[in-house]
Amino acid sequence: MAEIVSVIALAHAPGATGWLDKAPQHEQDAIIAGYGRMAARLSATKPDLIVGVANDHLLNFNVENIPDWCVGIADRWHGPAEWFRDWVNVPSYEVAGNRELGRTIVRECGKRGINLAFSEKLEFDDNWSVPLHFLTPGHQIPLVPIHMNCVVPPMPAPARCAEFGRVLAGVIQAWPSKMRVAIMATGGLSHDPGGQKYFDVDEKFDRWFLDLLGSGDDARVLREVTIDKMIGAGDGGTVELLAWLVAMGAAHAVRPALAAETMFYVPSVPLRCGMGGVEWAVTA
Amino acid sequence: MGIMQTDRTLPANRLIFEVRRDAALRARFRDDLDGLMRDYGLSEIEQRALREIDLQTLSDLGVHPYFLPQVSRLFKGAGYNHNDSEAAQLYAQKMLKGK
Repeated sequence: MAEIVSVIALAHAPGATGWLDKAPQHEQDAIIAGYGRMAARLSATKPDLIVGVANDHLLNFNVENIPDWCVGIADRWHGPAEWFRDWVNVPSYEVAGNRELGRTIVRECGKRGINLAFSEKLEFDDNWSVPLHFLTPGHQIPLVPIHMNCVVPPMPAPARCAEFGRVLAGVIQAWPSKMRVAIMATGGLSHDPGGQKYFDVDEKFDRWFLDLLGSGDDARVLREVTIDKMIGAGDGGTVELLAWLVAMGAAHAVRPALAAETMFYVPSVPLRCGMGGVEWAVTA
Repeated sequence: MGIMQTDRTLPANRLIFEVRRDAALRARFRDDLDGLMRDYGLSEIEQRALREIDLQTLSDLGVHPYFLPQVSRLFKGAGYNHNDSEAAQLYAQKMLKGK
């Protein structure tokens, strides 16, 4: 059976690759070091495959017809999408997918009460382009991307996200394969594209959220981290942290009550985002 | 306004969604915005707001917040989108009164 060897969650804001030089040197250094630390941790767990969960950013699914989650089942992926190339500012890349696991996730989650869309075609923007650039710059680890609805109400509720994570982990662990699988949520922390806080970061919220994940108490996390609170910290972007709750659900399916360790946090106004990441050290 | 006030049925949302995904539509956005907006069924007030890059009115009408900075990038360019870039400053001027 496949093994879940790593569960991480991290910010994917495009400023990290698009205009990092506009941040003060100490922010640049801390962001590069933070992503580097996460890359080292991920690499140390020797994953054969990454299952990613991230906001779709209204790139593949418009407001008229948006699934809670859509699993990419193609053999190969390409990024960034054309119009986002200049913005994200990373070279065009290819990364392998894993059709067998993608299809297994759709089929088996369906049997467990989670209805997932699936697609051969998903365009990538900063959601994968930025984290892959820092964590696997050679794009050598195949990716099963799961795009989710974080910004078109009604979004899946926090408890539903954690439930999906638990089911997803169970399906991966039951997959008859020798693969070592990492789960990577991307998005957040506080940011507000299209809102009144576009040029602000809610450091207080971000540190509160990171501390909560550090408690390992998922009942408390799900009680306290409401969609309203996330919207209050940045309407158009902070709700991407729903993807982190999927990761938490998955991590706690492997090791209940495991605390998330904050790997870095930089409230970067020049990047218009609370930049940070956590790891649940499921195999430590 | 915010994500909870999005009017999912607003024709402008469909237009902006598709323009970002299609280079031919972006050429039309640049060269024949009025014709493009008519083809997508935008109301007169939507058309005026988009033509004048009136992000606040687009927001009030129910354009998804995520699209608003993207509209500023469609007009002013997406590269090197730092806080002092033309696109970000346009957003600040239209949505935050120049903050």
